[in-house]
Amino acid sequence: MGGEPDRIPDTPLLDRERQLRGYRMNKMAMGLGDPANRAAFKADEPAYLDRFGLNEEEKAAVLSRDWKEMVRLGGNLFFILKISAVDPVRITEIGAHQAGMDHESFLRDRLGKKV
Amino acid sequence: MARIVGGLGTSHVPSIGAALDKGLRDTPEWKPFFDGYVPAQEWVREQRPDVAVVVFNDHFNALFLDRVPTFAVGCAAEYHPVDEGWGPRAIPPFEGAADFAWHLVDTLVDNHFDPEIIQEIKVDHGLQVPMELFWGRPPEAWPVKVVPIFVNVLQYPIPRPDRLYALGEVLGRAIADYDSDERFVVLGTGGLSHQLQGARAGFVNPDADRRFLQDIAHDPGKLAGWSREQYVETFGGEGAELIMWLVMRGALDPEVVVRHRHYFVPASMTGAGMIVLENA
Repeated sequence: MGGEPDRIPDTPLLDRERQLRGYRMNKMAMGLGDPANRAAFKADEPAYLDRFGLNEEEKAAVLSRDWKEMVRLGGNLFFILKISAVDPVRITEIGAHQAGMDHESFLRDRLGKKV
Repeated sequence: MARIVGGLGTSHVPSIGAALDKGLRDTPEWKPFFDGYVPAQEWVREQRPDVAVVVFNDHFNALFLDRVPTFAVGCAAEYHPVDEGWGPRAIPPFEGAADFAWHLVDTLVDNHFDPEIIQEIKVDHGLQVPMELFWGRPPEAWPVKVVPIFVNVLQYPIPRPDRLYALGEVLGRAIADYDSDERFVVLGTGGLSHQLQGARAGFVNPDADRRFLQDIAHDPGKLAGWSREQYVETFGGEGAELIMWLVMRGALDPEVVVRHRHYFVPASMTGAGMIVLENA
């Protein structure tokens, strides 16, 4: 399973390619475990992103909270969740966004919740 | 010699800890989930384990991608909860069972498992939530010492399921050989089915989860023989972490008795399962 393409459709795994592709963005988000960094992120988000060398594509994805695009660029959910903690945004909203569904349909049709 | 009084399996979804923090224990959404753990908490109170070996994964809270140990054993005197981005949680630190942890490292290396040896690390929901579910959150100190075993289940290549089962067998021998009258439990954590990433996000598989809760007790060899791809396909991208239950199961005898079992879906985005096993 190492560096090979994903064998299971629509299921991105943290393989070698994604690890390298997403390293900067993931390192940026990892920093949000520190309260001082969370304050810096809230005060001036573009400046915080620049500290970690994100390119324009990555910055745009983070600034617009395009969760699907962050994952496409190698972002891993466990890092991205630290961004959602700052906002805050529910994990089910992030799931719905990636599935291309509205939140209510996602809860009902994917997770089997009565909504 | 030390004795293993049982094996516990549980999901470790962070929303479970958040629900407790927000006082949602008895809301209609969460009560059926938490009520299922009451018999397991009674079992823990009756068994009074001295040491809990907790097999879990850090979710990039204490460990980053700069170094990714496949297996690591905590040999520290104490483990504090890590800030996962939401601020610190109001739970006491965990006392480590350092002497056993070093004995475990010796035994693992003698048996061809070569873990990273960790002296300072914080622990995330992967360890916190199972402890809260089985012991309840104590006001001051946990009534049990912990030995964290960290498994990489996120950065591929993750270890093979059969390898985790074999690791559990060595863990069981390390407990049996340990010169102490302490009582041990082993916790396998994670799962059950869930997927957080990609267009298949929100995937859960309750039928497979329920089957897993049967097979982990009575047909673990089958589960140890599955490929990683089978786990990802059946339980979802993040649900594949379920392989960590195999360490717990490997530490027990081939024949076990199921004392308690519980299943609830969805806890946040996850099929949540629990089991209490004793050697037959």
